[in-house]
Amino acid sequence: MKCPRCDSEKTRTMVKSPVGDIWEVFVCESCWYSWRSTETPVILPKFKLTDELIANLGVIPPVPPLD
Amino acid sequence: MAKVYKDLREFLKTLEEEGQLVRVTHEVMPEPDIGAAGRAASRLPSGPAVLFENIKGYKGSVVTNVHGSWQNHALMMGMPKDTPTKAQFEELNRRWDKFPVPPNVVSREEAPCKENTITENINLFDVLPLYRINEQDGGFFLSKASVVSGDPEFPDDFNKQNVGTYRIQVKDKDRVGIQALAMHDIAVQLEKAERKNEPLPIAIALGNTPLVTFMASTPIGYSQNEYEFVGALQDGVPTDIVKADTAEHLFVPAGAEVVLEGYIIPRVRVVEGPFGEFPGSYSGSRLQCEVQITRITHRTDPIFENLYLGMPWTEIDYLMALNTSVPLYKQVKDSFPEVVAVNAMYSHGIGVIISTKCRYGGYAKGVAMRLLSTPHGMPYSKIVIVVDEFVDPFNLEQVMWALTTRVLPHKDVSLIENAAGMPLDPSSNRPGMTTKMIIDATTPVPPEPNPRAVELLTDPVGTEKYMTIIRDLQKAMEEK
Repeated sequence: MKCPRCDSEKTRTMVKSPVGDIWEVFVCESCWYSWRSTETPVILPKFKLTDELIANLGVIPPVPPLD
Repeated sequence: MAKVYKDLREFLKTLEEEGQLVRVTHEVMPEPDIGAAGRAASRLPSGPAVLFENIKGYKGSVVTNVHGSWQNHALMMGMPKDTPTKAQFEELNRRWDKFPVPPNVVSREEAPCKENTITENINLFDVLPLYRINEQDGGFFLSKASVVSGDPEFPDDFNKQNVGTYRIQVKDKDRVGIQALAMHDIAVQLEKAERKNEPLPIAIALGNTPLVTFMASTPIGYSQNEYEFVGALQDGVPTDIVKADTAEHLFVPAGAEVVLEGYIIPRVRVVEGPFGEFPGSYSGSRLQCEVQITRITHRTDPIFENLYLGMPWTEIDYLMALNTSVPLYKQVKDSFPEVVAVNAMYSHGIGVIISTKCRYGGYAKGVAMRLLSTPHGMPYSKIVIVVDEFVDPFNLEQVMWALTTRVLPHKDVSLIENAAGMPLDPSSNRPGMTTKMIIDATTPVPPEPNPRAVELLTDPVGTEKYMTIIRDLQKAMEEK
C-alpha cells in the first residue's frame, strides 16, 4: 500500500479499532502521514512530500550544539 | 466566592444544567463528524459543548467546544452565562491580582487521574478516541493538552515548571510529535536538555478543570507558575495537583481525565504537520520533536477533550481571547497607569486594541511600543491600534469610529520593519519576521498640535429616559 502523501511503500498498520473489526489506521514510515481505512485521503498538491522535500523541511526548534 | 470546578466532569455537569452542553448519543464516525461538530458549535451564537458518546470503533467519549462561546467562558469563571465580555475581562483582572495561590498537592491515592495505570503495550487509541480535526491535517492531533515540563537546570524550582498548550500529532500507538516554537517556554527547557543530549521528561494532561486549560494557553512570565495562577483565577481557591509517576519534579492536575507521561527524544526531528492552525490556515510540514510515551494514567471511562480550530472564530479564539488580553493589559498598565483596557482577542494577540488616556504628545505610540516589547507582544503582536480612554476597545463599532475620525495616516500610522513575528502568521516573511504597525487613533494632546480641535457630540438631555420609553413601547407591541 502506497502512502497517499509521499507515495512511499513503507506503510504499515499502526492500529486496529479498539472495538470490533471496523477500521484500521495506517501510517507511512517515510513521511509519518497517518490515515484511517474509512477515509479517502486527497492530499493537496502543496502538501505532497518527496524525500528531497523532507530533507529540506524547516527544523523547529533548531537542534543546539552539544555542550 | 465564585463557583469552582474540581475537574472537567464538574464543569460539564454545570454546562449541561445551563443548556450549554449537548449530547450526541447516536453512533458517529470519527471523521468528519467530530471536527464538523466542533466547527458548527463554535459558529452558533451561544455555542454549547458537544459530547459524543458513541464513536464507531472506539470505547470512550469525546467532548469538544467546551470553551467555545462567551456563555461557556463566563460559566468557567463561575459567572452568570450572559455576563458581557468586558465584564469578564474586568473580573479576570480582579482575580489575577490574587496570584500567587499555591496549589494543593494531593497523594497518589487521592488523585482521580491515577485510577488506572498503563505501562505495557501502550496504545493511545485504547484510551483516546483520536480523530482528524481538519481534512488536510497530517494525522490525528491533540489540540487542547496541558503539557507539563521542568527546567533541567533548576528541576526543583516549581516556579520554572511550565504548563503550556502545544499542538501534538499522534505518530504511533506510543509516540507523538510536539511543536515547540523557539518563543515558547518549553523550547528554553528543551534546549538545555538537548545541549547535554538528555531526554526532557514531560507529562501531557488531557481533560482538565477549565481554568487549568485556560492558564496553560495564557502567556505569562517564564518564572511564573500556571497552577498558582489557576488558584488566583479560582478566586483564591487552590487547584489540586499530584506528582507525576515518572518524573519526581513534575506535577499534573489531579483531576485530569488522562495523563500521558514520557520524554522528548533529544536531538531528533521528524516530519510533523500540516495542521490547520489558529490564524485560519494550514501550517505546512516541518521537522519537529517527538515524545516517547512510557506510561498512561487515566480516570475510569475517560472523556477525551479536544478542540476545533480553523477559520476564526472557533473554540480556540474564545480560549485565547481574554487570557491573552489580561496579561498584556497588566504588563502595559504596570508602566502606564493611564491604560484603561487591552483587547488582544484577535488571533492570539496578533491584532490588539489599547484604550488609554494620553498624558502628553506621542503617548499612544509609546504605549503601543511597550506592548510590542512585552514577552508575548514581541513575537505575536503585529497590528496595534490605540484609542482614547472613552472608547471601549471591545466595541469594534467604537474602534472603527476612532479609526475613521481620529487618524491622519501620514503621521498616525507607524511601521517598524524587520521585527519579530509569529511564524504561523502566513503574512510573516520569512516565517517569524514581520513589520509591526501602530495606528494612533487617539486625539492629539500637547505638545502635539491639534489644529482642528473639535467638540465631540454628547447625547441630548433625556436620551436615557427615552431609551426606557422606546423599549417599553416595543415590548408592548410584541405582547399584542
